[in-house]
Amino acid sequence: MDRLLGLIIVFVPLSLLSFGGGQAIVADIQYQTVVVHPWLTNQQFTDMYAISRAAPGPSTLIAALIGWQVYGFWGALVACLAIYIPSSIVVYTASNWWHRNQESPWRAAIERGLAPIAVGLIFAGIVAVMRAAHIVEVGHIDFLGLATVLAAAALLYKTKISPYVLLGLVAIVYVGVDLIQ
Amino acid sequence: MHESGMEHESEAPPSITTLELFYVFLYVGLSSFGGGTSAWMHREIVERRKLMDDEAFMAGLTIAQVLPGANPVNMSLYLGMQLRGRWGAVLAVIGMVFPAFCVILLLGFLYRSFGQLPMVQVVLGGMAGVGIGATLALAVKAASRRAMRNTVPIVLASITFITVGILRWPMVPVVIVLVPASIAMAYAMEKRKAKNG
Repeated sequence: MDRLLGLIIVFVPLSLLSFGGGQAIVADIQYQTVVVHPWLTNQQFTDMYAISRAAPGPSTLIAALIGWQVYGFWGALVACLAIYIPSSIVVYTASNWWHRNQESPWRAAIERGLAPIAVGLIFAGIVAVMRAAHIVEVGHIDFLGLATVLAAAALLYKTKISPYVLLGLVAIVYVGVDLIQ
Repeated sequence: MHESGMEHESEAPPSITTLELFYVFLYVGLSSFGGGTSAWMHREIVERRKLMDDEAFMAGLTIAQVLPGANPVNMSLYLGMQLRGRWGAVLAVIGMVFPAFCVILLLGFLYRSFGQLPMVQVVLGGMAGVGIGATLALAVKAASRRAMRNTVPIVLASITFITVGILRWPMVPVVIVLVPASIAMAYAMEKRKAKNG
């Protein structure tokens, strides 16, 4: 029961502050679920991040995966509701205002003001996961991991490659490298 | 005064029942595996069923991106709400999330059973790299938007990144301080622009 409450306490504030979508809160999800509440190891967190990024649907479903690990089915359901309901209430309430105030300088200010915070948070999330995955840490770089990140980013930015093709290729490379070593 | 800028003019708009709306989003939720959710929604709602015009759809995309929450979920909520009010919003979100939630539960179950196998660990390591790369591509795109090309947003993004990403400060207090500050500065800039323009 405490753990269900813990899931709510972790995910509700993050839901309300997930400006820029799910990737903006990844850094804090890692911090909360690995360091503050030691529910997961860094390894487990990284695995769940990998699964949630590859799986269909919004990547915020990482909350459901973490919930599943912490408290089975009910954990998954509670974490899912905790991550979606608060932000949905904000969107529901705000979108009427948004439409009524097409010309308001506040509307433009909110759009412009939230963008840099979202960008900073998304980059923070990247660093947090790279650290948790032991790709880039103080005094250590996993060159295969770093090359994968940069190559995937370049391909997804520049080309229209399907993410699933990319995942397949990377899986083959990783298994190959593992067999050689 | 107009109550809503969204109401259709004189001619009767094509309509959809709440139940049909639920099926549409269930279908979108099932077909958008691998991303591209908003493209699927656009195809169903704007192109095929002509329930909404392009402009209203695009306004929704901005709202979905700017406000907190996962973009596909916010977009479903917005479309459901515009088309069928409160229950439309609720059912659109459930239709959108439910298939993906089932898949993630299945994956979570598989992970518990097989996650510790050495080969699975190797593949998951590669998948994490691709996931981070995908986020990096998204972050670079977001950082090169027009709204970011100025000293103030660059400084604010850097402060956010350093405090949360490098110094590992808890995100909630950082964001609670920085968001109002950032919006206030953007507001001041809008005002100045309006005065000069």
